[in-house]
Amino acid sequence: MTITRRDVLLGAAATAALVPLAARAQTSEVVIGVIYPFSGGSAQQGVDAQKAYETALEVINKDSAFDLPLAKGEGLPGLGGAKVRLVFADHQADPQKGRAEAERLITQEKVCAIIGTYQSAVAVTVSQICERYQVPFVSADNSSPSLHRRGLKYYFRAAPHDEMYSAAMFDFFDAMKKKGTKIDTLSLFHEDTIFGTDSGNAQAKIAGERGYKIVTDIKYRANSPSLSAEVQQLKTANADVLMPSSYTTDGILLVKTMAELGYKPNAIVAQDAGFSEKALYDAVGDKLEGVISRGTFSLDLAQKRPMVGKINDMFKAKSGKDFNDLTSRQFMGLIILADAINRAKSIDGEKIRDALAATDIPGDQTIMPWKRVKFDEMGQNNDADPVLLQYVGGKFVTIFPPQAAIAEAIWPMK
Amino acid sequence: MDKDFTARRRRDLIIAALLALIAALTPLFVKDVVVQNILILTLMYAGLSQSWNILSGYCGQISLGHALYFGLGAYTTELLFTKFGVLPWFGMLAGGVVSALIAMGLGYPFFRLRGHYFVIATIVIAEIGLLLFHNWEWAGAAMGITIPIRGDSWLKFQFLRTKLPYFYFALALCCLAWFVTWWLENSKWGFWWRAVKDNPEAAESLGVDVFNSKMGAAAVSAFLVAVGGSFYAQFVSYIDPESVMGFQFSLLMALPAVLGGIGTLWGPVLGAAILIPLTELTRFKFGGSGRGIDLIVYGTLIVLISLALPRGLLSLFSRPKRTGAVR
Amino acid sequence: MGLLYGLIAVGLALIFGLMDVTNFAHGEFLMIAMYRSFFLFAFFAIDPLLSAPLVAAALFIFGAVVYLLLVRFAMRAKANAGMVQIFTTFGLAIVMRGLAQYFFTPDYRSIPQSWLGGKTISIAGIFLPEPQLVGALVSIAAFAGLYIFIHRTDFGRAIEATREDPGAVALVGIDKNRVFAFGWGLGAALVGLAGAIMAVFFYIYPDVGASFALIAYVTVALGGFGSVFGAFAGGIIVGLVEAVTALVLPPSLKSVGIYSVYLLVVFIRPRGLFGSI
Repeated sequence: MTITRRDVLLGAAATAALVPLAARAQTSEVVIGVIYPFSGGSAQQGVDAQKAYETALEVINKDSAFDLPLAKGEGLPGLGGAKVRLVFADHQADPQKGRAEAERLITQEKVCAIIGTYQSAVAVTVSQICERYQVPFVSADNSSPSLHRRGLKYYFRAAPHDEMYSAAMFDFFDAMKKKGTKIDTLSLFHEDTIFGTDSGNAQAKIAGERGYKIVTDIKYRANSPSLSAEVQQLKTANADVLMPSSYTTDGILLVKTMAELGYKPNAIVAQDAGFSEKALYDAVGDKLEGVISRGTFSLDLAQKRPMVGKINDMFKAKSGKDFNDLTSRQFMGLIILADAINRAKSIDGEKIRDALAATDIPGDQTIMPWKRVKFDEMGQNNDADPVLLQYVGGKFVTIFPPQAAIAEAIWPMK
Repeated sequence: MDKDFTARRRRDLIIAALLALIAALTPLFVKDVVVQNILILTLMYAGLSQSWNILSGYCGQISLGHALYFGLGAYTTELLFTKFGVLPWFGMLAGGVVSALIAMGLGYPFFRLRGHYFVIATIVIAEIGLLLFHNWEWAGAAMGITIPIRGDSWLKFQFLRTKLPYFYFALALCCLAWFVTWWLENSKWGFWWRAVKDNPEAAESLGVDVFNSKMGAAAVSAFLVAVGGSFYAQFVSYIDPESVMGFQFSLLMALPAVLGGIGTLWGPVLGAAILIPLTELTRFKFGGSGRGIDLIVYGTLIVLISLALPRGLLSLFSRPKRTGAVR
Repeated sequence: MGLLYGLIAVGLALIFGLMDVTNFAHGEFLMIAMYRSFFLFAFFAIDPLLSAPLVAAALFIFGAVVYLLLVRFAMRAKANAGMVQIFTTFGLAIVMRGLAQYFFTPDYRSIPQSWLGGKTISIAGIFLPEPQLVGALVSIAAFAGLYIFIHRTDFGRAIEATREDPGAVALVGIDKNRVFAFGWGLGAALVGLAGAIMAVFFYIYPDVGASFALIAYVTVALGGFGSVFGAFAGGIIVGLVEAVTALVLPPSLKSVGIYSVYLLVVFIRPRGLFGSI
């Protein structure tokens, strides 16, 4: 890994040397702030995000042949080939620290936009500060639906939120029911954070609307030392589908506890998060054959769009992991933001905001299975279609919606 | 009364007034919002730690659960404001009163506990508060409360970009906490507490009076911390259970006092003045690395200071003849 | 589960309870032990059950070194000895977390295959997961061993005597530092044992200790400081209360049950159930 990183650095130095002096003289730097948890319980996500952003940076700053905005040529042509520089800051999952870091990045590091933040609670305060300083905030991977409904002008989210994800799950259930599969009862299992609560509420609401019966709705404490009592309740309820909204730590514990207590549901349809993390499958993948998770990204897309595979290889060289649901959204978030800055031809916050609002990128110029990227007046992209993926034979295959699917769902899971 | 003691108290008051004046003038020279942010946090933690010190330092009842009062202050203020439109200034008072009452209610059974049993009970009670707020739908549960910002307003104590009002409020809180401590040092309570610390058995004879004075200390301490909590909520303009009632606040209130000198008048201020800028700077410098270096630096410093200077940094400054009086 | 809490708490009961030294880095000791079993498994394919003695031995050395390098001085502090202990060990906990993140990266790890992982014995419809069953047995054995050690051997009595009156002990020729270093080593070794068992069914990352530390403190205090049997009983009570609370209240509130029982017990008996200090 160190060798590759050194190669990248050498490469960057070499390209910098080749740029004609005249061109370099007029280019300025475009600085973007990246706020993530780099220490504490979710440090892993922060470190992975850092690699995803560095991959996007390579695509933007170096010449490549991908059919992505800004891939061709070096830097941002709209700003005379200016290079993008990222400044990373640590929010330690604390809204106050996120806020302070956002303010520091804006006033001291002079960033022209901020991207982040993994935790939704931190996104709340970071986006407020951005609003006050009129600096755009791109919420790359926060999935709480409440975030874009606060009437902020400088808030943008290209990825789906949990209500869109949950709706896709229920679309899938409806389709399965038509084929004769019995799906009547559901067990919800979600953590007590913003993410878990939002997800649980969205699922309960849609289930009510579409006539599914929720037999248990368990809210548990995140990072619990034990989930035995909770799993016992799930087992007793024995619903047709178990729908967990959990991060990696609790996901691993949930699956292990289920195996220990001999609970084997017909199907698990997970709200991403932990269920798209490599760590979870390394730990308990053997017990998860046939698990279904929602997502925004699928490596299957590489069959139709070869660049997805190549970009994934670039990321893998840095991080040793495949793109997952989070890192792919982070990569895409920075590309979309940089594209807007390029079109704004300015690093002025208001101009970038207007350019972001005018964004219209067709789906096939992204690495996602989305229709396109276009923000509504609240800064939400409603054309980001979620997909459902099933874990089969050690990897994920897309099973829903039909236009993106490459396989039929295996139901019940093994 | 001993002459030295009176002279020292007068000198302390003059020094404090001078320091407050210098602090009040700093915004004239410091325009950078990041530095201002650090100053605000430093003053706030100095005030909080000063309040914590009243109960834990002077009374010797080591509490690692003050986050409960901090969170109660923040939540009372913001629930009153967002649900009933009560201005934060009144909410702040209400939060303080609620916290003080709860502190007294808890004090009744808690003060019978000794040593580790007491410390663990305080941690546990704050943890219960955190879990209850985490599950209380009406109070926003995990979603927390976002304080709607509609522009600068003294009435609603909210400001878009300027930090000066927050700065002066934090300074006022810090001064208030200091002054209360200063005043208590020389009160009847202060004498009892010193007596209890020097000789617990002899103090038993004072019995009820000492118990009441501890209740008083708990109430004053909780009130001030709650005011700090509601200030924090206004300052950050978003609260959720984890970010105002988490265990880290209990520690951050205790640490400055311990580093500076527990049970002393100047310890908390000195400790906060060193600790808070240090934590912020280590995070700026190393936090983005994702390798935990900031934690290593921070932890090592705590270990070294608490081992090398058990009486706190203040002991570096004290001359032998004064230590007698401080005790 | 209760016996597992007991197992985690037993090491703490020795350090915190018998020697009356606060150790706020207890959770981090557990974390180190879990990492150690993980690496023994990952690099040498040694099953956590087999490596448990190795982990315990390593932790013994670690615990003794921590005592000799840090805690010894913290206990010697002339002023505020309690606070100095709390914050020295707390600082140590932060450093250990930072170091774990630095060297092991913050990735979540887990031991995917082991002899015990995921196996379950079913007796009359009641499922008993094997790892937890083994954990429970080890826990009972550890408690019994410690109980005998403290009450039946000279060394065990020396530990207790040293806590009660270091001066008098020195007169009979017992070196306080050696006794306490051994006590710390033993306490840490027991945590090592717990860590090895935990590693079978729990995930591992630098902050993992935090979830268990508070429960371990509550367990020891509930049983009462200075009592090995107390910590054992405390563990069982905590496990039972947790299970019952999860049935009555929303599961996210299950710790509230544990904490309330602790408060209730100490209000009635300020020294815990079986405490002597």
